[in-house]
Amino acid sequence: MLALQTWIVHALFIFFTTESVGELLDPCGYIKPESPVVQLGSNFTAVCVLKEKCMDYFHVNASYIFWKTNHLTVPKEQYTIINRTASSVTFTDTSLLNTQLTCNIRTFGQIDQNVYGIRIISGLPPEKPKNLSCIVNEGKKMMCQWDPGRETYLETNFTLKSEWATEKFADCKTKRDTPTSCTVDYSPVYFVNIEVWVEAENALGKVTSNHINFDPVDKVKPNPPHNLSVSNSEELSSILKLTWINSSIQGFIRLKYNIQYRTRDSSIWSQIPPEDTASTRSSFTVQDLKPFTEYVFRIRCMKEDGKGFWSDWSEEASGITYEDRPSKAPSFWYKIEPSHTHGYRSVQLIWKTLPPFEANGKILDYEVTLTRWKSRLQNYTVNDTKWTVNITNDRYIATLTARNLVGKSDAAVLTIPAYDFQATRPVTDLKAFPKDNMLWVEWTAPNESVNRYVLEWCVLSDKAPCVPDWQQEAGSVHRTYLRGNLAESKCYLITVTPIYADGPGSPESIKAYLKQAPPSKGPTVRTKKVGKNEAVLEWDQLPVDVQNGFIRNYTIFYRTIIGNETAVNVDSSHTEYTLSSLTSDTLYMVRMAAYTDEGGKDGPEFTFTTPKFAQGEIEAIVVPVCLAFLLTTLLGVLFCFNKRDLIKKHIWPNVPDPSKSLIAQWSPHTPPRHNFNSKDQMYSDGNFTDVSVVEIEAANDKKPFPEDLKSLDLFKKEKVSTEGHSSGIGGSSCMSSSRPSISSSDENESAQNTSGTVQYSTVVHSGYRHQVPSVQVFSRSESTQPLLDSEERPEDLQLLDNTDSSVGNFPRQQYFKQNCSQRETSPDSSHSERSKQVSSVSEEEFVRLKQQISDKNNLHSLKISICPSGQETVLPHGLFPFQSIWDSTLKHYIN
Amino acid sequence: MGEGGRIFGDKRPREPESSDWFEREKSVSRRSPHPEFPWEPHLGATACSGPVSMKKCTGIRTILQGVVPLLLVLHWKHGAGSPLPITPVNATCATRHPCHSNLMNQIRNQLAQLNGSANALFILYYTAQGEPFPNNLDKLCGPNVTDFPPFHANGTERTRLVELYRLIAYLGASLGNITRDQKVLNPNALSLHSKLNATADIMRGLLSNVLCRLCNKYHVAHVDVAYGPDTSGKDVFQKKKLGCQLLGKYKQVIAVVAQAF
Repeated sequence: MLALQTWIVHALFIFFTTESVGELLDPCGYIKPESPVVQLGSNFTAVCVLKEKCMDYFHVNASYIFWKTNHLTVPKEQYTIINRTASSVTFTDTSLLNTQLTCNIRTFGQIDQNVYGIRIISGLPPEKPKNLSCIVNEGKKMMCQWDPGRETYLETNFTLKSEWATEKFADCKTKRDTPTSCTVDYSPVYFVNIEVWVEAENALGKVTSNHINFDPVDKVKPNPPHNLSVSNSEELSSILKLTWINSSIQGFIRLKYNIQYRTRDSSIWSQIPPEDTASTRSSFTVQDLKPFTEYVFRIRCMKEDGKGFWSDWSEEASGITYEDRPSKAPSFWYKIEPSHTHGYRSVQLIWKTLPPFEANGKILDYEVTLTRWKSRLQNYTVNDTKWTVNITNDRYIATLTARNLVGKSDAAVLTIPAYDFQATRPVTDLKAFPKDNMLWVEWTAPNESVNRYVLEWCVLSDKAPCVPDWQQEAGSVHRTYLRGNLAESKCYLITVTPIYADGPGSPESIKAYLKQAPPSKGPTVRTKKVGKNEAVLEWDQLPVDVQNGFIRNYTIFYRTIIGNETAVNVDSSHTEYTLSSLTSDTLYMVRMAAYTDEGGKDGPEFTFTTPKFAQGEIEAIVVPVCLAFLLTTLLGVLFCFNKRDLIKKHIWPNVPDPSKSLIAQWSPHTPPRHNFNSKDQMYSDGNFTDVSVVEIEAANDKKPFPEDLKSLDLFKKEKVSTEGHSSGIGGSSCMSSSRPSISSSDENESAQNTSGTVQYSTVVHSGYRHQVPSVQVFSRSESTQPLLDSEERPEDLQLLDNTDSSVGNFPRQQYFKQNCSQRETSPDSSHSERSKQVSSVSEEEFVRLKQQISDKNNLHSLKISICPSGQETVLPHGLFPFQSIWDSTLKHYIN
Repeated sequence: MGEGGRIFGDKRPREPESSDWFEREKSVSRRSPHPEFPWEPHLGATACSGPVSMKKCTGIRTILQGVVPLLLVLHWKHGAGSPLPITPVNATCATRHPCHSNLMNQIRNQLAQLNGSANALFILYYTAQGEPFPNNLDKLCGPNVTDFPPFHANGTERTRLVELYRLIAYLGASLGNITRDQKVLNPNALSLHSKLNATADIMRGLLSNVLCRLCNKYHVAHVDVAYGPDTSGKDVFQKKKLGCQLLGKYKQVIAVVAQAF
């Protein structure tokens, strides 16, 4: 039951499926032609025919048809409505190779439905095959090939057809990978003409090549002769006999041959004249060969009449001709070696082995004869190629012959000149040059007849000695190449010696390279001398081992760090060069390249810096300046010396002697005069050091400031405590008021009021060496001459001294310290203002004084300063002992 | 040889011939009621399986084996074996393409080719057969072929060509039989097989050339041919012996023929 149900289900499924597929597969129309193959460039028309059923169902007709090629709608201009059910489309000049063409309808005004589709294949018909040719390889089947012509873009079959006049053979179908050749299935039958042609066929047509008719034997390529063997003849050293076995085709066709041969070490084949081998044979004797030389042979054959193809070359076979006596005497030369025996020379006779083509066999030994002048001949047999013998200093004649199995060579004769023989007559115009990868030597022969020439050469090197090689040339030769293993980039020293009948001539030498190369190393440049604008560079010649060629020139490259490089070419003979126009105080980088004919090589870079000044330039500036300075100084000194009175007058004006003043009479206490007149003492001390002169003008019209008054009080107190140590004249230059009334008593003050023009001076003289002056002298100058500016200073200094002493400091120190900084002692700035006023007046005088003193005495370096702007001056401690000198100086001034 | 009596120049479509001689033999044999004569000369010929002196030849056997051989027999008359130039005067002598002009030279070369290889083929054959053949050549391989077509070296060229045609047709058919037998009897004697095939190929080419020559120059479009005895029913030794005798005879005759041309 279940099986029945399953069967029913399956049956229904198949039924409905079939119905559905039938509906689906049933197209609404069709296109004719179904599978078109169109020739490229031709016209093509396709017709789409709609089925009535579809037309009724979709309510369409042929006018609803539109065409598409590769999904692109074809323009309607190409359509043609044939009738109600058929529409055609025409393509002109088809160029597409593979085009999908579909017929479509538009249903219900908007739905495009594909009705049918075809694929248009386009291509070209085959061209007539050309150049048909066949070959029959012996023992194989015939193979023909041809030129298929243009590309067809279609699958094209080529068929090789062949037949006899009476019989047709099976066609030969080409394989897909070799469409232009075909090998027939049947064995070739010779001497029966066969006709062959090719048919090319594709969907667009079939074309046949020209027929060719031939006898396969005329297209045969025989197998090469085999078992080629070579044998020589003891009777004749110049022949070799070849034998071989022909291919089996020789049984019914005649053959001709090519026989080629070469020496073993050669790559160039020589050929036996074809006319000598133009008929069938199985052996051949080759003549005119060199004795004792190995030859290689090969042979090929073809049909005698030349129809067909040459066979491949046979395998090579070789044979050696029989020996003959050496055809030439060996090259013969000698070397003189130093001998320790007096009167004898050690001579090494050397000779070259004969090349095989001259030895004509295996050289068994050499026979050397040595003949002294008018003496008996001596024979020696030597197996080597050199022989050393001690001979006297006389002239000798040596001969050499080489011997092989067959006989002896001619004798080579060599004259060994006497010890004292002076060689002359060298070759001239000796040249050496590379050509064709060989080193050629050329010379001009001497006027005399030369038997032969001996060329010797060796590699010049700093590392190894010159070991010469040599060769011999005939006397008629004027140009040859060196037959040795020459290396490139090596310097060869070549010597040519002419050999005359009476002995060797004078040798001539030349250097040459087989092939030059750039130097291995560049020259190392260094500076020999560097100037402000020039530098002398020097370098060493390159060693010959690194030259690799003839150094033609050098190039010096130099530049600054930022500048462009400059190149200078220098001749190769130089080892020094001067760079000029350099910039001073500049770093230069310089390197050097050496050039051969083949290129150059840079050496290491060297840097140097040009100096800022040229050599002697500093001296040239400094010396004149110094001289000028000295001269000026000298002139100044002389001038000062000549005008010393005038200068003195200006610097140290004559000061009236206070002791001689009327003040002495005016003062109730005349100070001991000796204190003031000790001029001699003062000078004798020689401690006059410096003078500070302060000119103080009394400001009569001004009242003292309150600060001044205060300071006055303070001053009074100090005055009491430092009795006899302060001066009231003018006050201190810095600390005290500049008003003279301040430093005076009250009486002075009152006097000042009455007579503002009266000037006072207080003369204070400190005791010598800490001695307190016994008397304080106050004198009033009656003179209208202003008091010395410096009159006030002792008091001032004294005051300072006392003040400092009161605080326990070392008094000498403070003595020289004119403490100008009121800020330290009094915050009141008015002091400094006043000081300024003072300083403005007295600064000029002070400078003048200072100059005078320094010029006049120049004894000590002692600083004295005024403090025009409240600054302080510190004197060196080491100058304290000059306090007394200062005191004395003041005294002197006063005086 | 079902088409042995075909008129020369018949251009009816034929089955494509195999290029391999042996394959072609088989195909012909399959069609032929006379398997011992598988060779198909293209020249229109009347075949006879017996010697010239045989009156009935092997007519009964051929009748039993096919209609065409029967027709051949019907054409055969007493005394057949001698050249029968029965070509009508206006017979069409057409070939597939014009024959080459150098036919006689090619024929001479082909005969030389055959002559040059005949002895080697003979030696190769009896060597391959093994004892007692190599040591009893006179007894076993003597050229005692009774029905061998005659050849008259002193005849005219036309006669010689007709006789040559018969001779080569006979030899070709015999070589076909020998080749067939040897592939069974000595399947490993490949060089012998190869030599037999090569000789048969040459004979085939020779027949083509002779055909062209007869047709072109002498307008002979029909030659009666005779074939040797059938060996298919014989025992192994007899097959070997008949083959050896045939090759011995061939070696002997071909030298004469080559000399004659």
